[in-house]
Amino acid sequence: MKIYKKYSVVLILFSVIIFGCQKEVYIDLPNPEQKLVIEGFIEQDQYAVVSVTRNSPYFSPVDSSTLAKLFVINAKVIVSDGTQTEELMLDFSNAALGVWPFICYKGSVLKGEVGKTYWLTIYAEGDTITGQTTIPEPVQLDSIWWLPDNKHNIENDTLGYIWASYNDDPSEHHYFRLFSYRRGRDKSFVPLFGSVYDDILFDGMDLTFSMYRGVPSISDVDSIQKDKELFYFKKGDTVDVKITSIDREHYEFWRTIEQEVYMGGNPFMFPVLIRHNVKGALGVWGGYSATYYTLVIGKD
Amino acid sequence: MKNYFLYLFFLFLALPSFAQNVQKYTISGYVTDELTGESLIGTNVFVKSPMRGATTNTYGFYTLTLEKGNYSLFASFMGFNDWTQEIVLDKNTKLNIKLSPSVITTSEVVITGERPDKNIHSADIGVFDMPVEMIKKIPAVFGEVDILKTLQLKPGIQSGGEGSTGFYVRGGGPDQNLILLDEAVVYNASHLFGFFSVFNADALQNIEVHKGNMPANYGGRLASVLDISMKDGSNRKYRAEGGLGLIASRLTVEGPIKKDTSSFIISGRRTYVDIVMKPFLRKTSPMKESDYYFYDLNAKVNWRVSEKDRLYLSGYFGRDVFDLSSSTQNFSNIISWGNGTSVLRWNHLFNQKLFANTSLIYSVYNFGFAAKQDEYEMKLESGIEDWNGKVDFTLIPSPTHTIKFGANYIYHTFIPNNVSGKTGGVSLVLGPPIKLYSHEGAVYLNDEFDLTSLIRINAGLRYSTFCHVGPFTRYIKNPITNLTTDSVVYASGENVKTYHHLEPRLAARFMINENSSIKAGFTQNYQYIHLAALSAVSLPTDIWVPSTELVKPQFGTQYSLGYFRNFNKNMFEASVEVYYKDMKNQIEFKEGALIEDNINNNTDNNFTFGDGTSYGVELFVNKQFGKLTGWVGYTWSKTTRLFPDINMGEEFPAKYDRRHDVSIVAMYEINKRVNVSAVWIYATGNTATLPASRYIIGGNIINEYGGRNSFRMPAYHRMDLSVNWTPAQKKPRKFESSWNFSVYNVYNRRNPYYIFFENTGNIMEGRLEIKAKQVSLFPVLPSVTYNFKF
Repeated sequence: MKIYKKYSVVLILFSVIIFGCQKEVYIDLPNPEQKLVIEGFIEQDQYAVVSVTRNSPYFSPVDSSTLAKLFVINAKVIVSDGTQTEELMLDFSNAALGVWPFICYKGSVLKGEVGKTYWLTIYAEGDTITGQTTIPEPVQLDSIWWLPDNKHNIENDTLGYIWASYNDDPSEHHYFRLFSYRRGRDKSFVPLFGSVYDDILFDGMDLTFSMYRGVPSISDVDSIQKDKELFYFKKGDTVDVKITSIDREHYEFWRTIEQEVYMGGNPFMFPVLIRHNVKGALGVWGGYSATYYTLVIGKD
Repeated sequence: MKNYFLYLFFLFLALPSFAQNVQKYTISGYVTDELTGESLIGTNVFVKSPMRGATTNTYGFYTLTLEKGNYSLFASFMGFNDWTQEIVLDKNTKLNIKLSPSVITTSEVVITGERPDKNIHSADIGVFDMPVEMIKKIPAVFGEVDILKTLQLKPGIQSGGEGSTGFYVRGGGPDQNLILLDEAVVYNASHLFGFFSVFNADALQNIEVHKGNMPANYGGRLASVLDISMKDGSNRKYRAEGGLGLIASRLTVEGPIKKDTSSFIISGRRTYVDIVMKPFLRKTSPMKESDYYFYDLNAKVNWRVSEKDRLYLSGYFGRDVFDLSSSTQNFSNIISWGNGTSVLRWNHLFNQKLFANTSLIYSVYNFGFAAKQDEYEMKLESGIEDWNGKVDFTLIPSPTHTIKFGANYIYHTFIPNNVSGKTGGVSLVLGPPIKLYSHEGAVYLNDEFDLTSLIRINAGLRYSTFCHVGPFTRYIKNPITNLTTDSVVYASGENVKTYHHLEPRLAARFMINENSSIKAGFTQNYQYIHLAALSAVSLPTDIWVPSTELVKPQFGTQYSLGYFRNFNKNMFEASVEVYYKDMKNQIEFKEGALIEDNINNNTDNNFTFGDGTSYGVELFVNKQFGKLTGWVGYTWSKTTRLFPDINMGEEFPAKYDRRHDVSIVAMYEINKRVNVSAVWIYATGNTATLPASRYIIGGNIINEYGGRNSFRMPAYHRMDLSVNWTPAQKKPRKFESSWNFSVYNVYNRRNPYYIFFENTGNIMEGRLEIKAKQVSLFPVLPSVTYNFKF
């Protein structure tokens, strides 16, 4: 929930701005145990995509030569739906587009189907990694629209949030994740800022909520500071909104990842324990069912 | 249970006291300030042959039983001229003593004889007094004399570091300290994240500190007792005292309601750091519209109903408010916290040998956070409220026994963590507001007696009980999915879980000679209420929770041994103390616990439990009089924790584990008008949990953390200086004033508050660099305060 994140931001802000003096310090951290990181997903009606990367010592810088070394390119990645099995093939097309992950393994046979379970097996660097996920029933938004953000009177009402209303069915328990894609401006679907929800928080209610446009990388502080439209959607853009339904383990992974990304390193909170759902490595193997909506901002 | 107590009671009385069968009489009375009528706590009243003495209790009452005969009776107390009177003791005598305040400071008073040295003679190990007069001489940060800051200069007592509320005694957590203000519990004694305490020194008389070996009349906390007494207020004439400082001001007014019979005292303090800072902030700073302030109010009224009865009514109310809002960015965050206490006490003197006090107490602490951003609103509240009644008796049946017994009952109401939220006007389903109720009670018996002329024993037994009652709903969770599978509902008053325990206390003092002694102590304590820290830094957001069926009471055992020696006719006090503590049923939040986990859930479903161990050595040398006074304290200690569910079941350092802690305090009287003081402290750096490695998910850098608290931040040290100057007055006037100039952190050491990591570059473009940055809080801070009295 966004507000919990603001809570800790306020506390940090207080100490840093009122009296804070900062200086760079040099910390000697021991070399870490080498681990593999899996980022895999299979979406309804699409092929599986899996990336295998490595962890690095905390302070080691990344540049063009070291970046490539982060990716494992000789792994054997296998996806199965219980009846069919497919080995995924190395694909470099993301690198050209500048979309993360730059190097990944893609499928061409198995497409994600609602209600099915998918198993992942990876043989890499002498390790065997496994994972399992399901694609739950898709969810629908009742309606979706855009409103300019009048309160700030910015740029003559060209910036605002996308709003949606959702009728929750209390007899079912859903976890969902939201993405947005501005045609011609974004390189791929970008998760919202605070993208995952557990519908138990608004069980049985008709919820109206606004969407804060996310950024491709929270770690990229520079771009974030330069983005004049941060969180907003601009009039004139055509935006695709995707609402996906995910299973509980998949939700727990993104919830803890986002918690860590927004609050990691915050001394006011204990470090977040990431709930990885793969065995033998860090990371995630998740299924998505998806419903798409398209909105032309500003056109009623 | 009853029989056990009676048995003990008679056992103590029957112990041989090696006294001869000579007629004995008791002399007793109240010691007061001649000018104000204020009762003086901790005054030494003694005779020299035999060397026998007593100290006045919290109400200024002393009682001394001696053999029939003629004596020179002495009374002495810091800040007052020594008093003496020849007495003929041939019957039980009532003698009230009035001491006159010394115009010249104690350091210049020639001591006519030896005084009993509490540190050598008393059988209490790990206990010391802090007279307010002494605290007022220590460098004051921003001119605000602070009890907690001064307390942390003593060995065995450490602060959590700048920006951290709470203090740590012998490796114990901040919730393990019992802080009492006129017998009412103060749950959060800090303003401004630990920079100031809530105690306004102008309203206080005395502070007695027990570092763990507490006698049986205290209980409910494992680590320490801070027993603070407010002044009564002069019942002779009206007085006012106060100070104007750079960031805070205070005023105390006291006086008689009916001369010599009743009096009042009111004391208030407020900061205006927000008003002072505003002109220095840039227009664009988000802090521009922000406000921070705190205030305290202490009030007390007392009435001497008769020679045998006194009534006191005292109260404290204070609050911190931090408002971080911006109308341009359309957000508002208000954080506030504060305590309120009120106490009604009745002293009754049955006869010369039996004194009783009955108190009725109300105490409340609450913390609130209200946030608004666009259409989102959130409120978070937590707190604790106590209704408390207690009765304490002091019985001195013979010269060699001081018996204390009594009972204590508290009704607690806890609000652990109530969250409510709204989005677009729709309230979110975050569960009903939770309140937890419990009863806590105790009875105790304690006897301090001389086994021989060289051995004094202080033995006691406390029987305590705790009962968690409804209304309460227990949510039973599936351990894997964390979904609620069942719930058990308890009706109002229905017993959910009861605990009861015996707590033995034992301390002994062996005199080696007039100048030295050895003391030993053994204590077992149970603590039924706990502070769950949601963060790695101690904050007002920490929540108080009761013991429940899942949360067992904390159990502590402490062993201590010390050697005490005075030099040069008591000019120097020195001691070496070692201690070892074992703590069971310590609480931490489960790894990965988040605020959301409290929704539709019992707070205690998110806890995990384990043990703690702490041991250390404390060295202390104190120069008590002369032009130069002060002390040096050094503590070496190690505090660890062992939790099956944290750090993979491996032992890890406690968050406030501090290997070395050094304090040097020096106060020098240049002349009658000017005194200077300096403080230097050094402490091993705080622990931190830092990342061991990093990896990338979805284009974001994710930290993988190393062992809990495995990293040590750089050491903390700083020096403070202070000068007090009383300008000469051509004619002595009723209005007195003085100036205090002080500098905090003289050599501007950037002590680390926390370490965070800054990324530059963009992983999407294939470049990334990470730097570690350290944030420090307080640089060199000079201040000026104008103090006045009339």
